[in-house]
Amino acid sequence: MNNEEKGGSLQGKDIPSTGVEPEVKSVAVKKPQSFFGERPLPAMEITSRVLRYQSRRDFLAFGAGALAALAVAGFLLPQDTLSRIGIPRNLDPPGKEWFLNKALRIDDDVAEALYSGTRRVPTYTKSQITSLKNNYNGATPDPGYISGWKLILEGLASGLSISLDIRNLLTSFSMHEQITRLVCVEGWSAIAWWAGLRFDDLLHAYPPMSQAKWARVESSVNLDASGNPDPYYMSLDLATARHPQTLLVTHFNGQPLTADHGAPLRLLVPVKLGLKNVKAITRITYAAEEPKDYWAERGYSRYDGI
Amino acid sequence: MSNSKPADRQTKSTSTLPEQSGVLVVRKHHFLVRWSHWLNVPILLGLILSGISIYWASPIYQHKPDPNTGNIDVAADIGTWICAHVPGLHNYSSPPDWIYNHMSLGPGMLALALRLHWLCAYLFMLNGILYVAGLVMGGGWRSLLPRRTDLLDALRMFRYYLGFALAKLARCQWLHPRFNTKYNALQRAAYFSVPVAGLLSVATGWAIHKPMQLHWLAALFGGYNVARVWHFWLMWIYILFVVPHVVLVFADGWDTLRSMIVGWSTRVEQSEVVANEQ
Repeated sequence: MNNEEKGGSLQGKDIPSTGVEPEVKSVAVKKPQSFFGERPLPAMEITSRVLRYQSRRDFLAFGAGALAALAVAGFLLPQDTLSRIGIPRNLDPPGKEWFLNKALRIDDDVAEALYSGTRRVPTYTKSQITSLKNNYNGATPDPGYISGWKLILEGLASGLSISLDIRNLLTSFSMHEQITRLVCVEGWSAIAWWAGLRFDDLLHAYPPMSQAKWARVESSVNLDASGNPDPYYMSLDLATARHPQTLLVTHFNGQPLTADHGAPLRLLVPVKLGLKNVKAITRITYAAEEPKDYWAERGYSRYDGI
Repeated sequence: MSNSKPADRQTKSTSTLPEQSGVLVVRKHHFLVRWSHWLNVPILLGLILSGISIYWASPIYQHKPDPNTGNIDVAADIGTWICAHVPGLHNYSSPPDWIYNHMSLGPGMLALALRLHWLCAYLFMLNGILYVAGLVMGGGWRSLLPRRTDLLDALRMFRYYLGFALAKLARCQWLHPRFNTKYNALQRAAYFSVPVAGLLSVATGWAIHKPMQLHWLAALFGGYNVARVWHFWLMWIYILFVVPHVVLVFADGWDTLRSMIVGWSTRVEQSEVVANEQ
């Protein structure tokens, strides 16, 4: 590179008066140069009137931009954060939720565009298995529900409501094993060894109604933090349900599921965040319209594709 | 930055326009570079604040539960320490929460923090495109490229900074090393690294945002968990960059700060040296 120093003040020399434009003239000397070589900064003579005008315009634009940034920050930041930095504000603008949800929808659309029904998620070996914590949002349900457990299917092409017990599921479907990563919205992840039937096989055995695009996967045994019933419901697009690695899991680490991990049947959908992996499923309802989603109602994404 | 006095208010009268007084200026920054530079301030601030809030949901650096408090989080330890040692904070109701509440949006705001983070992340990527477009259109990218002489020149700059205070105390002359390029070697290293860090932040961000569809990207950074660590430490590059960046721009003077707003500088001598030495 040609940046050897050759000192000496050359100020004021070599300013040819090309005189093409009355106000702005290029005084840089053009020399042949390598493509990556640094070029001289284009120097020019500007009348002070034009310079003053341009500076005023740029500073006004800069000031307006700074004020706009402050306004947006005040609009978006939560009340707690603002009061912590000494800005009292007691109104929560109604457009705020709409605006933030709009950004979330864009991200969901990107996630949906990235999804491929044929792309498999990475699988791991048994030596890579990590511990998986019980992340029941509230309390873990008492295992008493397991003995009388039934899975209800609704929104089927037949128009019937089907009730299956765990023996039906274990005997009439082929079992698949996989060691995949479960990723939580909180940021942690775990590699676990699962076995169960493919959701796709259940969709073939009990086809949903023709216009169905969604499944509502529900657990009626879910509890809130104080141990009160708090049904958990989650929307799942059927494109994801048909993914070959989307399982209805019956076994964890080679053993039947325990109540901690959603006995006797839980959803394992590795292309979605952990919160879509409903434990202790009691009902699956197929629908044409997007069903409600427990965490989407609490400000999280409703697609959750990863 | 430069040793000689800027050609401020240098007037030139030409035969064609004898009544016009002209100022000799150099175009330093393309307007897209200027705009994206300033837009980075609120966007990066939003990304860092919401990012730390997301981090609190599952901190990377944890230890065995503390026998007294049951705490597992290094950041909460720091908060506890601050509350114990900073006067006036002794009666803070929850010492582990102090650092959460004062460093970011606070705990228990994951849903909001995620939405803010996605919003800022998309803006950051769009802004990055503006910045690169400005570098290409204004030709400024050439001034950022590292070169063979950089190591030696960087050492000269270090020597200058180390001796600066001593020379001031001793009231002796301490000349700034002369460079005939737009940036000195240290500036160039910083201004080159930060866009690279931006690119890596975006890449690691996608790797941990879509670790299944983009699992090859996560694998490139050592897998999902390691990509999170990358993403966390890349944030510190911006924080570590900003402090000397702001200090030095004020030390360097009004012309440098102004040039990032208006685009031009009255320090024309650098330009001419480059033009004439080839």
